[in-house]
Amino acid sequence: MSGPRVFLEVFRKDLRLDLRSRDRLGHMAVFAFLVVTLLSIVVPVSKAERLSWSPALLWVVMLFTSLLGLGRTFQSETEEGAMELLVQAPVDRGWVFFGKALASLVALFAVELWTAVLFTVFLDVDWSAGLWGCAGAGVLGAVGLAAAGTLLSAIASGARFREFLFPVLLFPLVLPDLVFASRITADSLAGSEIAGVSWAIFLLYDWVFVLIGFFAFDFVLED
Amino acid sequence: MVPAAITLSVVAALAWLLWLAADVPARIGSARWVGLASLALVPVWLLLVSYYAPIEAVQGIIQKIFYVHIPAIIPTYFGFVLSALGGVLYLRSREERWDTLAAAGAEVGVVFCTLMLLVGPIWAKPAWGQWWAWDLRLTMTLILWFIYVAYLFLRSFAFGSDTARTYTAVYGIAGVGAIPFVYFALDLAKGAAMHPVNPAREGLPPEMGQTVGVGMITFIWIFAWLVAKRCELGTLQARALASRLGAH
Repeated sequence: MSGPRVFLEVFRKDLRLDLRSRDRLGHMAVFAFLVVTLLSIVVPVSKAERLSWSPALLWVVMLFTSLLGLGRTFQSETEEGAMELLVQAPVDRGWVFFGKALASLVALFAVELWTAVLFTVFLDVDWSAGLWGCAGAGVLGAVGLAAAGTLLSAIASGARFREFLFPVLLFPLVLPDLVFASRITADSLAGSEIAGVSWAIFLLYDWVFVLIGFFAFDFVLED
Repeated sequence: MVPAAITLSVVAALAWLLWLAADVPARIGSARWVGLASLALVPVWLLLVSYYAPIEAVQGIIQKIFYVHIPAIIPTYFGFVLSALGGVLYLRSREERWDTLAAAGAEVGVVFCTLMLLVGPIWAKPAWGQWWAWDLRLTMTLILWFIYVAYLFLRSFAFGSDTARTYTAVYGIAGVGAIPFVYFALDLAKGAAMHPVNPAREGLPPEMGQTVGVGMITFIWIFAWLVAKRCELGTLQARALASRLGAH
């Protein structure tokens, strides 16, 4: 079995699991709904203030929601004892990482769209002002979260106090992701031009974490 | 002369620690000399801080915190470098000795990072009028501290010691990979700087510069000595564990 084949099979399996059980997506959707509702009540009433807060709030909601989804990336494997089988696949285990991360990425995209709708309805955010910039930030932000999250979730699932450890490991490392994404979102909504260098560095960040994930997975899944 | 001595100290300390970590039981004897040397440097540094360096005209005596705060920077980053370097060497060779070095670097590094974060606000309150500012370098140090703490948590929570070694090595490498981005992101997010850009460029009086330089050299060698002792401890722990397992 070749590497890309393993990648595709893992991806298809996870995607199918997500679509059939709807556990992960369902939980994330309800959680995001709840947090956005709370925020809508708590944030300042004036529209200008609310809009200036929205991009940062959006990405904080994304981060917390992704904890729910990404933290359980390896749950199905560890519960059913499939981890051993996955490790025995005679290919670079980085391909398993790609499959897992891509499935998480799809889930994150779904949550992003849902959160964007919630922000439109409850916080009156008008995305049309900077649609392409926001979409770009959404894609790059989700890729970074999925890559770092998949790697750290694999690590956290091999340790005690997993629920505590996962955010502690994840937050400092995805801080740049959050800053870049909310900055670009804010600037796009304000109608200002995004500097090319911001995109380049964001892209580089994603690339670095995809690479680290790919190469480190060989070691992480071994033990 | 002092800057050259600082550079030399960093290079020599790194070389010594790598040499030591390769065979701790046989080479730990050299740590005694490093310990004595750093012990001799401490009173020199303290005397310079107390009598040689002038009292700052505006801030007064509180500015003396400078001589503890600034020297702690080098060990903080040094510890990070050691933990990442040890992690890479461990993943390549699977030899426990490199993991011992990585763990020692992280543990001693976090002590200096904590020291820097603790004395900083004590100085900031009278100097800036506030305990904390979301200034670039301050925030950067705090994030570094969080990465360090996550690293140490991971080490103690991972199931089995081999798993802990591999996981922390990977996390240490990912942490170092993230650092430049964290720096850039914080600059983008906050921007406002309270810390001087580079004290040397602002015409620090030579007495102050020399005193802080001696402080840096002192801290580098104390750091190196503590890392060596921590490596010795790690080696002894491993041996004790092995003999207990062997006895069964």
